[in-house]
Amino acid sequence: MLSRVADSLYWMSRYMERTDGILRMLKINYASSQDDVQAFSWKPVLKIFTFLNDEEASALAHNTRGVLQYMVIDKDNPNSVLNMVTLARENGRSVQDHITKEMWQCLNDFYHTVRQEKLAEWLQKDDPITILDMLIKHGVLYFGTTDITMARGEGNSFINIGKYIERAIQSADILDVKFSDSNYDMDEAKDTTYWKYLLLSISGYELYLKTYRGGFEARNVVGQVILNDHFPRSVIYSVNRLHRYFERLKNERNVNDFNQVDFMIGKLKSKVKFSTPETIFQEGLHQFLTETKNDLYVIGKTLSQNYFSYT
Amino acid sequence: MHTSELLQSYLVDANTWDEMYANASVREQYKKAVEFMQQLSVDELNKKEELAKRLFMSQGITFTVYSSGEGIEKIFPFDIIPRIITASEWDFIEKGIKQRLRALNLFLKDIYSSQFIIKDGVMPAEMIYSCPHYLREMHNFPVPYDIYIHISGIDLIRNNDGSFYILEDNLRTPSGVSYMLENREITKRIFPDLLPNNNVRSVTEYPTILHRNLVSLSPRQTKNPTVVLLTPGIYNSAYFEHTTLARLMGVELVEGSDLVVDNHKVYMKTTSGLQKVDVIYRRVDDDFLDPLVFDANSRLGVAGIMSAYRKGNVAIVNAVGNGVADDKAIYTFVPAMIRYYLNEEPILKNVPTYHLGKDEEREHVFKNITEMVIKKTNESGGYGMLMGSAATEEEITKYKAEVLLDPRQFIAQPIISLSSAPCYMDGKLTPRRIDLRPYALCGPGGIEIVPGGLTRVALKEGSLVVNSSQGGGSKDTWVLAE
Repeated sequence: MLSRVADSLYWMSRYMERTDGILRMLKINYASSQDDVQAFSWKPVLKIFTFLNDEEASALAHNTRGVLQYMVIDKDNPNSVLNMVTLARENGRSVQDHITKEMWQCLNDFYHTVRQEKLAEWLQKDDPITILDMLIKHGVLYFGTTDITMARGEGNSFINIGKYIERAIQSADILDVKFSDSNYDMDEAKDTTYWKYLLLSISGYELYLKTYRGGFEARNVVGQVILNDHFPRSVIYSVNRLHRYFERLKNERNVNDFNQVDFMIGKLKSKVKFSTPETIFQEGLHQFLTETKNDLYVIGKTLSQNYFSYT
Repeated sequence: MHTSELLQSYLVDANTWDEMYANASVREQYKKAVEFMQQLSVDELNKKEELAKRLFMSQGITFTVYSSGEGIEKIFPFDIIPRIITASEWDFIEKGIKQRLRALNLFLKDIYSSQFIIKDGVMPAEMIYSCPHYLREMHNFPVPYDIYIHISGIDLIRNNDGSFYILEDNLRTPSGVSYMLENREITKRIFPDLLPNNNVRSVTEYPTILHRNLVSLSPRQTKNPTVVLLTPGIYNSAYFEHTTLARLMGVELVEGSDLVVDNHKVYMKTTSGLQKVDVIYRRVDDDFLDPLVFDANSRLGVAGIMSAYRKGNVAIVNAVGNGVADDKAIYTFVPAMIRYYLNEEPILKNVPTYHLGKDEEREHVFKNITEMVIKKTNESGGYGMLMGSAATEEEITKYKAEVLLDPRQFIAQPIISLSSAPCYMDGKLTPRRIDLRPYALCGPGGIEIVPGGLTRVALKEGSLVVNSSQGGGSKDTWVLAE
């Protein structure tokens, strides 16, 4: 497979995963904003998913429609859904002969949907959940179509590598910012709705209820989002998948490049696997999450050097 | 009744050949299709038109127009009413194009080697040496199987007596074949059963034939040679076509930066190292192909690719240097080539053409300029041309001055009235001018033409310019079986 093609598939997939994460998070936070007696603040969301500085984020923090506008269709926000879907589609467009025609049509339809002018008006006036749901469905259609139609070759591996790197970073980010909200104080953030919405935004609420019977506790939330290997958004699940798809790239022609990245993923995997909520809190949650994210960035960078360099 | 409504305003220009209408009745080949359309209400037809647009949009069969830093996706206008060609008309066209291509291919081989055609006085030497597309780099280089023109898209038009004329030979990197294929797919969707009921011949073989020909050119005797399609990249207006063809043939779509030349061999950069490339179907113009040989500023090509080509380590399709054969000034010599190389009379006629490099012809053209169309010999796509009938006094004066700077670069042709065909517009059928571009493929086994082609249509009323850059659209093109 051409290095350029692998590169495009990887980024197409990362942008789609990020889009999905942002849309779900927006939906749940919107719901939470309707459920909150005190003034709901969008600030943590803006801090995870945008490049706004503290002041700009504070200015937008209580303007729900403004946040939706900025996060979904603002062209000046590099992480807006519009920009990410455009990038995913541009990447897909340049590798149309490596993805299936159905996948390309999903990306293309999604792109035309977020670009239509009416969306701005709807986001101002209509029910945001309906609109976000519609956009989420476009993404889900892409994921399903990819799963059903994409040949299980190298291309599929790069798509999944991108997807799970992105997902692991996102889950770590969400935890990090939510806990920074409460200064990493495990006892302070005891407000149940707070945890409920965090879990809902990553589709982990039901699983939490089934796993932990004793109500909401910070250590259990951390346990689920980092360490539960049955939870598809957990860090450990994402890293396991990342490793599994990466291992498929092994062949006799690029042994050194492979081994270098394989070592890094393996190391990260064992580190997460052999952690417990207690050891994480001992080390410091922020410290742990920062290191994990760093490891993922370095893996992404090395992967890019070893597999995508073509200029 | 919708019946009369649909055809009510179909007013054919008296001096024009109409593909559907003759002597106030519908021609035999159009009868079934017209009957079918008449059964549909205006609403239904509008819905079909809408569906066609949506299908093009959703499949990304679009080109991007960049304005104020933002890309806007546009579709090439598609008219839902097919253009229909009878079996006997097709038979004639096919024979004519094959004959012409055989002569043009012999001309290229001759002009890049012994140059008998000049020595025998059939063509003056300055015709060749003044042509910017004549490439000395190709001299005395035997291309595989002596084939220069692997893929061509020759443009045909129809005069008011219904006879076919060759308008242009496109022998370099002709585009539009994906529209031949996609337009047909759209027709299948919007008019179920209409194609089989009309006995329309299929065009789906095109990518298969092309792929077979490309594989057969591999310099390496291997079961699975690496064939690639070289594109200038996603910002090229024909990018959709490049991906479509790559996908339909199952070959790798590469950009210049994906390839590298080492020791006169071409490789592509893959995730597991370098992989040798055997055949390149390039959609990059000669000028940009190799910065070491041609335009040094080009980022679209590959440094050293010409040396690999000349060493015979890689096959390039179409051959480099074909521009000398589809130059608009050389065009006038094609009938002479057919007689000279094949000893046959040309089947398809040329449009009479005047060289503005010749004083007496230039005078004649300038005197009758309102009946002429003047074109630059090395431009295409409808750029740099003057329609004498539509130009203002001022434009004519300005254009004349430009011609006098370098008359060799201009030719003139009497304005030929293109034939018209029905188009669906605002609930009615309306005649619009059309041309025809069939795609011919030449491999070691000979020339094959898929029964069909691209019919381009001038959507503006009265317009004779069908180029997509000038407000043209396209139609599905049917060739009927016997």
